[in-house]
Amino acid sequence: MTETTENPQTAATAPAAQRGLIPLPLATARALLLAGGILTTASTFLRWTWTSDFPGDLTVNGYPGGLQVLTLIAGIITALFAVSTYGVRGLGWLLPARNNAPLVLTALSGFAVTWYTVISIAAELGGIVNWEPGTYIAAVASLLPVIGALAFPQDATDSTKEALKAYIAKADHVPAPQATAPWIQRLAITIVAALGLTVFAYGIDAEDELFIGFLIVVVFTAWALQTAGLFDRFSRLTADNRSFALAMGFVAAIGFPFTQTNDHYANLGVNILIFGTVALGLNIVVGLAGLLDLGYVAFLGVGAYTAALVSGSEFSKFSGVQFPFWAAALTGAAASLVFGVLIGAPTLRLRGDYLAIVTLGFGEIFRIAVNNMDGVSGPDITNGPNGIPSIPDLSFFGFDFGQNHDIAGFTIGRFANYYLLMVLISALVVTIYRRASDSRIGRSWIAIREDETAATAMGINGFRVKLIAFALGATLAGLAGTVSAHVTYSVVPNPYQFAGAAPPNSAFLLAAVVLGGMGTVSGPFLGAALLYLLPEKLVALQDKSLLAFGIALILLMRFRPEGIIPNRRRQLEFHETGQLDVPDTTTLTDEPAITKAGA
Amino acid sequence: MRQRSLVILTSVLTTGALTLTACGSRDSGSKSDSGSTTLTIGVDAPLSGENSTTGLGIQYGVQIAVDDANKNNWVPGVKFKVKALDDKAQPATGQSNATAFTGDSSVVGAVGPLNSGVALSMQKVFASANMVEISPSNTDPSLTQGKNWATTKTRPYKTYFRTATTDALQGGFAADYAFNGLKKKKAYVVDDKQTYGAGLAGIFNSGFKKLGGTIAGTDHVNTGDTDFSSLVTKIKNSGADLVYYGGQYDESEKITKQLKAAGVKIPLFGGDGMYATTYIQTAGKAAEGDLATSVGVPVDTLPAAKAFVSTYKAKGYKGDYGAYGGYSYDAASAIIKAVKAVKDANDGKLPDSNDLRSKVVDAVQKSDFEGITGKVTFDQYGDTGNKQLTVYQVTNGAWKAVKTGTFTG
Amino acid sequence: MNTLPQQLANGLLLGSMYGLIAIGYTMVYGIVQLINFAHGEIFMTGAFGALTVYAYILPDGTSMVVAVPLMLIGGGIVSVLVAVGAERFAYRPLRQAPRLAPLITAIGLSLALQEVVRNFYPGADKDRSFPSLDGSHDIGSVTITDADIFLVVAAIVCMSGLAWFVRKSRTGRAMQATAQDPDTSQLMGIDTNRIIVIAFAIGGFFAAVAAVSYGLKYGNIGYRMGFLMGLKAFTAAVMGGIGNIYGAMLGGVVLGVAETLASAYINHIPGMQQLGGSGWANVWAFCLLILVLLFRPQGLLGERVADRA
Repeated sequence: MTETTENPQTAATAPAAQRGLIPLPLATARALLLAGGILTTASTFLRWTWTSDFPGDLTVNGYPGGLQVLTLIAGIITALFAVSTYGVRGLGWLLPARNNAPLVLTALSGFAVTWYTVISIAAELGGIVNWEPGTYIAAVASLLPVIGALAFPQDATDSTKEALKAYIAKADHVPAPQATAPWIQRLAITIVAALGLTVFAYGIDAEDELFIGFLIVVVFTAWALQTAGLFDRFSRLTADNRSFALAMGFVAAIGFPFTQTNDHYANLGVNILIFGTVALGLNIVVGLAGLLDLGYVAFLGVGAYTAALVSGSEFSKFSGVQFPFWAAALTGAAASLVFGVLIGAPTLRLRGDYLAIVTLGFGEIFRIAVNNMDGVSGPDITNGPNGIPSIPDLSFFGFDFGQNHDIAGFTIGRFANYYLLMVLISALVVTIYRRASDSRIGRSWIAIREDETAATAMGINGFRVKLIAFALGATLAGLAGTVSAHVTYSVVPNPYQFAGAAPPNSAFLLAAVVLGGMGTVSGPFLGAALLYLLPEKLVALQDKSLLAFGIALILLMRFRPEGIIPNRRRQLEFHETGQLDVPDTTTLTDEPAITKAGA
Repeated sequence: MRQRSLVILTSVLTTGALTLTACGSRDSGSKSDSGSTTLTIGVDAPLSGENSTTGLGIQYGVQIAVDDANKNNWVPGVKFKVKALDDKAQPATGQSNATAFTGDSSVVGAVGPLNSGVALSMQKVFASANMVEISPSNTDPSLTQGKNWATTKTRPYKTYFRTATTDALQGGFAADYAFNGLKKKKAYVVDDKQTYGAGLAGIFNSGFKKLGGTIAGTDHVNTGDTDFSSLVTKIKNSGADLVYYGGQYDESEKITKQLKAAGVKIPLFGGDGMYATTYIQTAGKAAEGDLATSVGVPVDTLPAAKAFVSTYKAKGYKGDYGAYGGYSYDAASAIIKAVKAVKDANDGKLPDSNDLRSKVVDAVQKSDFEGITGKVTFDQYGDTGNKQLTVYQVTNGAWKAVKTGTFTG
Repeated sequence: MNTLPQQLANGLLLGSMYGLIAIGYTMVYGIVQLINFAHGEIFMTGAFGALTVYAYILPDGTSMVVAVPLMLIGGGIVSVLVAVGAERFAYRPLRQAPRLAPLITAIGLSLALQEVVRNFYPGADKDRSFPSLDGSHDIGSVTITDADIFLVVAAIVCMSGLAWFVRKSRTGRAMQATAQDPDTSQLMGIDTNRIIVIAFAIGGFFAAVAAVSYGLKYGNIGYRMGFLMGLKAFTAAVMGGIGNIYGAMLGGVVLGVAETLASAYINHIPGMQQLGGSGWANVWAFCLLILVLLFRPQGLLGERVADRA
């Protein structure tokens, strides 16, 4: 921020001295923060430009639209935090540690989204003549809270750079919350689940500029809440009410299609869920057992191909055979299991990076083999590059997944049907994951991952438990694959590659696990949602979208190598250890995850 | 006390947020200012990454058609715009793009995709929404003629059309020219094991044998491969006098180069996937004498096509129009002209979105106009009626038409 | 005509190129235990660096005898800069991070480098032609080109130079020490950061040599050329024993020969007619890798790895 440069570098006073980066009295700073927040909110009710050519139509007085809504929300949040600094009763929970970072970050969120809007109005419509008085008001109003927040006093530091760092640092100590009644805790979880669903539903619908604005607000606000210590508090809350939180996450996930009128978003939703579920399966292998698998997508392929072969498609080699879905799902999972064991048995005796290259090789072998098994250049099984198209829709007890259904006044389209089926399967996979990681075998995985020699010395059969992890991971991917075959109507060899421009491929699956946070349940889902939505929504960048995506991966790893939702123990440890590391068995951050991912 | 206010505040916040998001969806339907309606034509193709050069050619081919339609007022009172989505050559992404099109009430039809494998996952989505889909490049015969296209043809989806010709025609025409025109007797057949290439090579193979030629050998390469020395040695040893390659120019330009460097001076023959200037630019002198088939009559004999090429260049569009730009232009034109036909039949008014879509499907089926790749019509399977094929040969660093005709056999 | 000698030559040539690239993987891995998946892209940028020298700096019609060394320098500079830049700005901050974080960075870097070249290098959205050395020589039943001779000579010179450097020079010995125990060698006064940068730089330069050979041999380069070559080179490094520079070269040659022979002869084996040809070559290459690792888990020339993995 430019205004920070005017910071006068007076000699440091007493070590305990508190002062703001911008020298203003505390009362003024607070007032600026509050007034700025309110003004920003108010400015969205004015028109920001004269023509409806700008997406979202920002020309209506008294009715915010498009990006204005995001500014409005950011303004309200800023104002709320400002009020809470006055010690208003009932809002104290927003700032449990009473630190400055949430104030700065929420102020920045409003500032960034407003200025982003203002600048893109000028850029897209050609010049600042397209600004209206409301635009100027918004631009100035959104700047005020930033100045105000940076004027809040904090411990004196040596340089401006350090002072700025201190302004966005997480509170050192977050006081424990007062005991609350169980029903309040549950209500809070419910509200968070509802909010999560709303945010996700809004984000998935947003396009182009609106999505970028959405990202700005979500990133800054989430960052603010994290620095305020609210995430920690919430994860404790969910840990105390685990089953309830899981159930709420599940409900929120089911609720998603009912918030959508367009089946396209259900389609995105089901793809994200499939991708996320497979990533969770990979998390067993990578996150829990510490085995680096670079060919994991092949197991998804085995499941998908198996399901396609027994689906009754006329293009299948066994076109007369049509298994009911439960049987097809079991067959697909079983086929993946068999492949998992076949690959794992000889190779799991290798260590570390050798395993990585062998799994990578297996992934490539699968893709090439499937591509060649068309009776011309290989045995006639998979129909080669043409794949197996015309996979019929599923049908349970007369409920045809291919048709629209009206449920309680909502129309549930084809993809929403599959989405709901996939929610069930994801819930199953989440349960298996949690059960497994909490079990004796799960602890063996972690022991093996941490120190194989020591674990073996303690009587753990390293090979056996690794094989179980590998096989279980493969089975879950195969299960997800059976659904994906039906969703896309066809299976073809191309998607099952090591690295490509779009999910699913092994590199993206691994990235979803690592980005989200290894060893957690929510991490892979969040990572999957991000990796799926980012390239999808960055169409405005056209052929530069992959470039932006690559840079985003580098930056995310640079600044958050432990993943967005870090495993607690891992976060504490990772400065001491350099090894492939991970989980503890009962992560506290798991529950909200389902909300985010599933919603 | 404190807890209760907490609850109240949070609920207020939640309700507020929910209400606000509801506000976000103000009417954003197609606006009609000054009496004109704007309809959207969807484009689905790989616009980033590997196949994007060809994919962008499709996007801008459609763009030029839409610009022409708007400029020359092809459909009075209706403006068109392009909505291009990137499928990254992935079936699942292509499918979600298809649902994006069908879910947007301003979209009247779609052009794409580039890859047959992606088309498989999209056809049914368009069919359920009754929206027309015209691919400028899919060549897999089963897309229009069903599984047993060689024996009993049945059309699986009545909303799917293509302006590209099927492998069956092109492969047969090439075999005929290789045997009767070039008098080659021993061919080595290679393909890239993709839907298009493998299909084309397979049909060439059987066609060439039927005419009495010998197949010196067959091989399959992987897309992305760069070293073909082993293949080249095999070809050299087989004594073949022609190499037929089913696939795209990305690999064939390398094969021809390595072939000639190893001293195997026999021509390489391919399909429209390698009929592009890039092929000659990259392979250089090695491309001299190589051949390719392409649909339609040579572009430089049609003035409309020349105008298309000069517009594409003048606008500085990225990508390569050579392969499918012309077919994309014709595909978009077919949709636009169908809209006009529907509007004219409906007393000059556009029916509502769903009705319009299904009527456009019927009107596209009846298409009959001069496009830039030749006459645009569709047969009962949705295949192009343009059965004109041309063989081109690289002469002095440029593609030169050597034979134009129709394949009947 | 017996094609075996020619096919063996094909395999050896391809393998030398894998080997040159594999050096980059193996040196970096040997010192920091990092799989630099973006190394294939470093190879690719080297090719474009060399092309820049030829197409935009040198006057038209420069003799190849003059041009090739200059292209090597140009490609070398670009590759080394990219490799060292990647180390400095992407990998170094992650040195203490969990093992998988740099892997994701590498995937991101790989995508970003490809896209930078595709978007911003003139004409790089398609393959670009590269000056090739086409003059061919027949030695018995084997035909080889000038580019092939260049490749073999370059590989031999680079390998012996590297072997001398690592064994005899001060920096080379410091490198060995760092590979064995970074902490102790730091205590002994070795600047480990410098050693790591040098490892990246050498890997980058070898990749550039491979890239120029690639261009001269095949006559065209493209932004995607690094992906598959990088993957194969990585396989070669592992097969030879990752961390061992001779292993990288041997692994490369074995892989190249195996691939070529599989593509040429597998379909002559009764019962496997359909499993031969170029399409299946990669499958057999990976199968060979798995077999090698089963019987020699440390790779062909690998040393003890028990405390490395």
